[in-house]
Amino acid sequence: MLPPRVVRALTRALGNPDIADRRARFRYQDAGHGFDAFGLHPDWVSFADLITSPLYERWFRVRSYGADNIPASGPTIVAANHSGTLPYDASMLWADIYRHTDPPRAPRPIADYFVSGLPLVGTTFARTGTVGGSRGNARALLESGELLMLFPEGTPGIGKPFSERYHLQEWRQGHCELAIRHRATIVPAALIGPEEQMPQVARLPGVGQIPYIPVPATLFPLPVRYHIHYGEPMTFHERFAPADADDPDIVSACALEVKAAVQALIDEGLEQREGVFR
Amino acid sequence: MISVLVTGVGSPISERLVRSFLADTRVKHVLTCGHLPRAQALTLPESRRLTYLQVDLTRSRRVRELVFGPARDLGVEVVVHLAQHRRAHMGGRKVHKLNVEALRAILDLTDRHPTIRRVVVKSYAAVYKVGLDLPVKVTENHPLDLSPGAAQYVRDRVEADLTACARMGLSRAEIVVLRCAEALAPGTGSQLYDLLEAPVVFRPIGFDPMVNVATIDDLVVALERATHGSGEGVFNIPGFDTLPLTEAIRKWGRPQIPAPGAVIQPLYELRHRVLGTDFSYGMNRRRMHYGLVMDGTRAREELGYEPAHPVDWPLGGPIGTERPAPVT
Repeated sequence: MLPPRVVRALTRALGNPDIADRRARFRYQDAGHGFDAFGLHPDWVSFADLITSPLYERWFRVRSYGADNIPASGPTIVAANHSGTLPYDASMLWADIYRHTDPPRAPRPIADYFVSGLPLVGTTFARTGTVGGSRGNARALLESGELLMLFPEGTPGIGKPFSERYHLQEWRQGHCELAIRHRATIVPAALIGPEEQMPQVARLPGVGQIPYIPVPATLFPLPVRYHIHYGEPMTFHERFAPADADDPDIVSACALEVKAAVQALIDEGLEQREGVFR
Repeated sequence: MISVLVTGVGSPISERLVRSFLADTRVKHVLTCGHLPRAQALTLPESRRLTYLQVDLTRSRRVRELVFGPARDLGVEVVVHLAQHRRAHMGGRKVHKLNVEALRAILDLTDRHPTIRRVVVKSYAAVYKVGLDLPVKVTENHPLDLSPGAAQYVRDRVEADLTACARMGLSRAEIVVLRCAEALAPGTGSQLYDLLEAPVVFRPIGFDPMVNVATIDDLVVALERATHGSGEGVFNIPGFDTLPLTEAIRKWGRPQIPAPGAVIQPLYELRHRVLGTDFSYGMNRRRMHYGLVMDGTRAREELGYEPAHPVDWPLGGPIGTERPAPVT
């Protein structure tokens, strides 16, 4: 694991003024030694900004719509569709939010448990803000006013077959329970493009904590153009009291609202785009 | 003005706590006990307000004689229970008796004691389960490590913790359990301290968990606040310093070598056998992979405890902090 000073030097040497400017404006909750309680370090965040730049700007040529719907501060959950065999969509959504919020907010992706258990990968992700998908982690982050980035479709979403593209899989409800209980705003988001980037043709059985090994049709993701659409903020906490988070009917109804909002953004985005690569 | 009984005297934490009580005008008398003779257990000068008794807490008769003898005669109102075996490699019935049965006996006796109204139990962060599917920042509701393969060091601490928790609300006395972060200091039984004291630190390759460490000064403050407080409950007592393991090793001035766990375990076992050191990789394997940082919100809100004393790192402390004066 590279120490932060090495990462900082690399970012300075290879970065551009925009990356340096975002690093300068970035704020986080330092637990005392430069890291937050979950392991995030601002130099690693800036390094992630650097290494996602070529993908963001040149490969996927991301276009962002409605990012001003993301609150500048306070507990926030960005809930999006998940796809693409490998989680390039998560890294592009992370980069897009980081670039389009002022001051820059480093989203905290909620990853499946096994990610934290992967040597090097788990630690690297933690340095850039990723946390394991436990309720306790989400609670602690929302209580400290962080922005969570999660994919309610979970692993089945990223592993969906090509024929199922842009059809939302089973939509989990935990994000709505969290939003009601911890007074968080939900911002629905739709990613257009990643569902075609790496068509999955087969799956091999998983190893260890990894649920399965995808077999994509292409070795690298296709240079599809990403369109990221953010919808109107959904403030369930203004409609419901924290205790309502225990009511399964309310949580379920809210989750359906979020799912419908994401599906509407997907449909709108698909209609607007001129082609997979354009 | 209260009188206090402090058990398990003989460690740096207990010594500092007794000093602090003696300097506290709210404390009338400090009754202390430990298994060592006074000269070895306490370096404090004789005082009219301090009594030391050599007591073997593994013998229930001796516990009874202590609690219904000098403790009753002095009108002890608060018991601060610190007695726990500090070495991870020590096990067996005698160790279990000290770690668990002594506390059980004290709680039993307290229930019908005429003066004791409060028992403060020092527990440990080691009682918490660590895993990749569990939160990094843990509240008092976090699962405890009840795994059958856990070392006696952990099992005893969990049992003692739960023994105290099970009496809350049922006993006449108020019971307070403080789950304390490791104090990074010699003689405290800290596994991390023993790890960092090695000339070279081997750690699991590819993992860098977050750790939270405390100082004796902070733990003493927490114990004092619990002693003088009211109400009961379980409280996390985090330390000031939260940082990745690799940073802790670096700031302690030790070279580190990442290696597979299969290599690390025999190396530390060999170190224990040859040098008599106490760090057990098997016991700490999960903690060296996945982070655990205690959430001290409840202690802050109910006890008014906030960690304020950073560890005196040889190669640089926390950013923007100045080390406050130690508690005397």
